[in-house]
Amino acid sequence: MSSIKPLALLAIAGVLGLQGCASERSEAALDQASTAFQSVKDDSNVLRSAPRDVIRAGESLAKAERLATYWGTGADVRHYAYLSQRYSEIAREHSNLVLNQERQTKLELERQRLQLALREAKLSSVQQQGKWLEEQIVSLATTDSDRGLVMTLGDVLFDTGEAELKNSASRTVLKLVQFLQLNPRRVVRIEGYTDSTGNPDDNLKLSRDRAQSVADMLVDLGVDEKRIQVIGYGDQDPVEVNASERGRAQNRRVEIVFSDEKGRLGAER
Amino acid sequence: MRTQPLFVVLALLALAGCASDPAPHEQMRLTEQALEQAKAVGATDDVAELKLAEDKLARARSNMASESFRDARLRAEQAELDARLAEAKVLTLKSQEQLTLLQSRVDRLRKQLGEQR
Repeated sequence: MSSIKPLALLAIAGVLGLQGCASERSEAALDQASTAFQSVKDDSNVLRSAPRDVIRAGESLAKAERLATYWGTGADVRHYAYLSQRYSEIAREHSNLVLNQERQTKLELERQRLQLALREAKLSSVQQQGKWLEEQIVSLATTDSDRGLVMTLGDVLFDTGEAELKNSASRTVLKLVQFLQLNPRRVVRIEGYTDSTGNPDDNLKLSRDRAQSVADMLVDLGVDEKRIQVIGYGDQDPVEVNASERGRAQNRRVEIVFSDEKGRLGAER
Repeated sequence: MRTQPLFVVLALLALAGCASDPAPHEQMRLTEQALEQAKAVGATDDVAELKLAEDKLARARSNMASESFRDARLRAEQAELDARLAEAKVLTLKSQEQLTLLQSRVDRLRKQLGEQR
């Protein structure tokens, strides 16, 4: 009898110890689930986007707490604490998703607004650039009452007796190309002229070749050939008398006649 | 639809007093469905919760085979919520990625507009 007693006591103590251990684990699981539930219960965003999961988290937690008041239910307590915790976590994720979606909708609107603003800004910068170019071209050109807008490329842009444009003409030609690109309906007539020295036939050929070389460069730079007419006038229509060297230099030229915005060119000479 | 698992849980709980649990066929089906759905939105084993769900479902199946219906039910119930959490996490992650992309586009637009002015 006396030898059995300590053994029994030990057994009871052992069982109690295990029970204590188990209930400690249940206690920890309950605490964790309870903390998770509190944080979603008090979050208006979570309540709004996942009310049912919050309710289930609460129900499972209540069940776990109720079971915890009985003996020997440690596994069930932990099970329902686990479920409660999961419901809380799922509710939290749903809420995060909804918040993200709301932010996404706002950002999408913001993006559309910015795209519109950018498009307008680009458009106005193109318009401004177009206006600036137009001013440049107009400043390089003169308005002839019969022929409209006329731009003169002087003799200095060509080598003597040669048809090739010098590199120094590049800036002017580039402006011309840009102007034509921004004004797609305008067309041009390129007219070559020489002074009256030398053979008239040679002069006619040289004037035509010079006008053609300007046209070629425009085409190379992307202007449609159909928008360009080329004419050589030789020594006709001098702008100055051919008596002086200065006058002759001014007569050696290429003129670019612009159509109006609707593509109507002035009459040929 | 959503109240069904709860109803099943409650019904099973009411029966829990009995010495032997009935086979939790309905819960097994719900759990399998939840796993399918999580995978359908792109959850893989890289998502810890999905791995958990699969492991628990496998154990629940072997519990079913050995007619340990109580263990099967508990594991299947946990696996269902693990799978649903995995699904929710994947969806949130995806929306986060979209949000980041959108934000970077908006930032780029703002920058361009800043340079325009």
